[in-house]
Amino acid sequence: MREVNQYDSHLKPTWCPGCGNFGIFTALKEALAQLKIKPHKVAIVTDVGCSGNNADFFKAYTLHALHGRALPPAAGIKLANHQLTVLAIIGDGGCYGEGLTHLINLMRGNHDITVLVHNNHLYSLTTGQYSPTTPKGTVTKSTPDGSIEVPLNPVALGLANQAAFVARGYAFSQEHLKSTLTKAIRHVGFSLVDILQPCVTFDKNQTAAWYQERVFKLKKKFSSRQEAFTEALREDKLGLGIFWQEKRPAYHQELKVLEGKPLIAKPIEKVNLGKLIEEFI
Amino acid sequence: MKKPFSIKIGGPAGKGVKVSGLVLARALSRLGFSTFSYSEYPSLVRGGHNTYQVCFSSEEVFSIIKKIDLLIALNQETIKLHQKELDQSSLILYDPEQIKLPKGKLIGHYLALPFNRLAQEAGGQSIMANMVSLGAILTLSDQPLSTLEEIIEQSFKKKSQQVVQLNQKCAQAGRDFVNKKLAKFKKEIDQPKVKKKKLVLTGNEAAALGGLAGGLQFYSAYPMTPATSILHYLAAKSREIGIVVKHAEDEISAVNMAIGASFAGARVMTATSGGGLCLMAEAIGLAGVSETPLVVINSMRPGPALGMPTWSGQGDLQFSLHISQDEFPRILLAPGDAQETFQLTKSSLQLAEKYQLPVLILLDKYLSESDFSCQPFSSKHFHQRYFLLEKINNEADNFFKRYSLDQQAISPRPLPGQPGGIHCCNSYEHDEFGLATEEGRMRNLMMEKRMAKLALLQEEIPAQPIFGSEKAQIGLISWGSNKGSIRQALTGLKGVKFLHLNWLWPFPKEQVSRFINSVKKAICLEQNQTGQLALLIREQTGLEVENLLKYNGRPFWPNEILEGVKGITRLRKKGRK
Repeated sequence: MREVNQYDSHLKPTWCPGCGNFGIFTALKEALAQLKIKPHKVAIVTDVGCSGNNADFFKAYTLHALHGRALPPAAGIKLANHQLTVLAIIGDGGCYGEGLTHLINLMRGNHDITVLVHNNHLYSLTTGQYSPTTPKGTVTKSTPDGSIEVPLNPVALGLANQAAFVARGYAFSQEHLKSTLTKAIRHVGFSLVDILQPCVTFDKNQTAAWYQERVFKLKKKFSSRQEAFTEALREDKLGLGIFWQEKRPAYHQELKVLEGKPLIAKPIEKVNLGKLIEEFI
Repeated sequence: MKKPFSIKIGGPAGKGVKVSGLVLARALSRLGFSTFSYSEYPSLVRGGHNTYQVCFSSEEVFSIIKKIDLLIALNQETIKLHQKELDQSSLILYDPEQIKLPKGKLIGHYLALPFNRLAQEAGGQSIMANMVSLGAILTLSDQPLSTLEEIIEQSFKKKSQQVVQLNQKCAQAGRDFVNKKLAKFKKEIDQPKVKKKKLVLTGNEAAALGGLAGGLQFYSAYPMTPATSILHYLAAKSREIGIVVKHAEDEISAVNMAIGASFAGARVMTATSGGGLCLMAEAIGLAGVSETPLVVINSMRPGPALGMPTWSGQGDLQFSLHISQDEFPRILLAPGDAQETFQLTKSSLQLAEKYQLPVLILLDKYLSESDFSCQPFSSKHFHQRYFLLEKINNEADNFFKRYSLDQQAISPRPLPGQPGGIHCCNSYEHDEFGLATEEGRMRNLMMEKRMAKLALLQEEIPAQPIFGSEKAQIGLISWGSNKGSIRQALTGLKGVKFLHLNWLWPFPKEQVSRFINSVKKAICLEQNQTGQLALLIREQTGLEVENLLKYNGRPFWPNEILEGVKGITRLRKKGRK
């Protein structure tokens, strides 16, 4: 489909055959195409990891950030030019481990960025160590006796931390994921989309079959954060779709200086400091 | 040259030591004096021992001096702690109803002045006792209250005319008490010949203004002493001047946000101190490899780790030269006073954009927080934008060779949103589009493209200032905030000249070599333990210099420099025999 191909760079994805990243990649391109956002109007910040390599495969303005640090540059881009659609593509290691503080704090600030967490419960680019979302007791190369930590629950965390948009997707429910991403991108404010995906190479437990038995599409809209929270805490089944969405001004909308024109559109060719300097006499 | 007159106010935190000190400095500056003020305080909010010292003269004052002519003691501790800075002619003002003089032999004349009671008698509250002391200080220094009354009017008129009058009355009560009971202690001070408008501001305020003069649009930072007041100033002014100021959740976020905003086209800056700079290390490398303009101010304090938060040092030169792994071009600047801080911070934003690289500026606590008096900065600043593109001759959604190898070192930079400019701003090694590559030939080409900026930058290095007689046979070399103390010391040294370096990288190799070769003895003054500039000089010129080092958190005193230089040169003579 031509419309989807417009976001393809000339490099072919290097992910393992059968990797969920392909599904997320396509769902995102379809969502952008559906929203009619031109490639040059999109800024994508990617983290480090298998998902981070999206930076090379997307044709859009991309910033391949440091590990764990995809969210701060995304917030910076939005503040500098709030007319851009700003996305962050990040893994469970970068988002919930190395850079967790950025997630928690930028979420509270309601910065208008859509965060796609490619959550495969492992560090896969470094050949499969446990991550913040790995189930307790999982044997990996760095936890030969089984991991001791209980896993982080991203959806519950987002709900507890006042995120204005919290959703869960599944890499192999591409059509549903596309619809969730379309809503997340259209939502003004911080959107957290935790996307489940099996790691076909390193995860022998949480396989596609394992997910198929557990995922289901959320049917009803929750009437309160508390109700959504109860669903988010479920471990036997994993609901897919939007857990919570509320309208709240985004960070850049609360800044008086960003009313109207974006920051970079304000000319700096002439600067007059007369009044400021006078105050020091 | 006349010695500056030196006043020190000492007391516990929360007693308004710093505020009244600054009012005094401004009042003296408005009378036409040159002033230099320095404050010392421990890292706590209440209690402790705080001081604010103002040195002023009809001639230019470059730094503080050790001797105190007039000490205002708001607690007994102040009298005890500063005995060594007093001599028989020093005056010590204290409130006999608030503090007792310490026992034992005391140096100087102790003048009892009941600040609190006089404030109350004038109808004010005890908080206005500071105004009584300011009135007394100015009168003992043989100065009128006119400028103090003017400052009171400007500061308090928003509250009410009554508050203005009460404060002015308190100042007058201090003046009248001195005239009535302490008139014989009045000091004679040379009056300034001309009254020119001067600014009184800290190095940090000069850095903030310099950033704005340089077209700053986005400032993100995390509080850390002694850099914090840049954040305070810019945050307070952000709405008025239309810039975005973000207090980020940590230094890592602050610098990465700035890089994102810079990628999007804003002129950006962040500031921190040593520990925060450690956290920013990786991102500075990201700015280097992705050729994203970035200005980072590091206001140094003694380290390592938490070190001494509210004290001064110069231990981060080599760290800043090498910060982040592997190699990439950078600029390292080290202004010596408020005027240079303003100029160089302004330049840093232009240079970062022109050369698409990180620029680091080294300040220190002494420079960041001392109040300098200087000529007003020019208010109008004009900019050209560098390597941005009006229009791109390319299909709207095609890739653009952001890192084109056709240009010499620096390639045009489209901004996100711009049709035809799509590229990747990459932390990984990359090709001309910015897409990641591990191919050996491209790695070499990109490395060489980036490093070629260093050769181009040679053109930008300004002649570094030299003070003193050209024929002098002893040469002092230093960097950053030592400039003032050394210039003050030079007024008492003959046959000595001084090269002040405010551009540390790329290194002004030729000028430094010429300077060292023009003297019999070159001495490098620094506030670190290993002589980091001396090491750099040896590395870059192959020449050896002597070290005069200090690293106890206090700035160089001019008399220490005098003695240190004399000591080193005397040793040399002995060695010859």
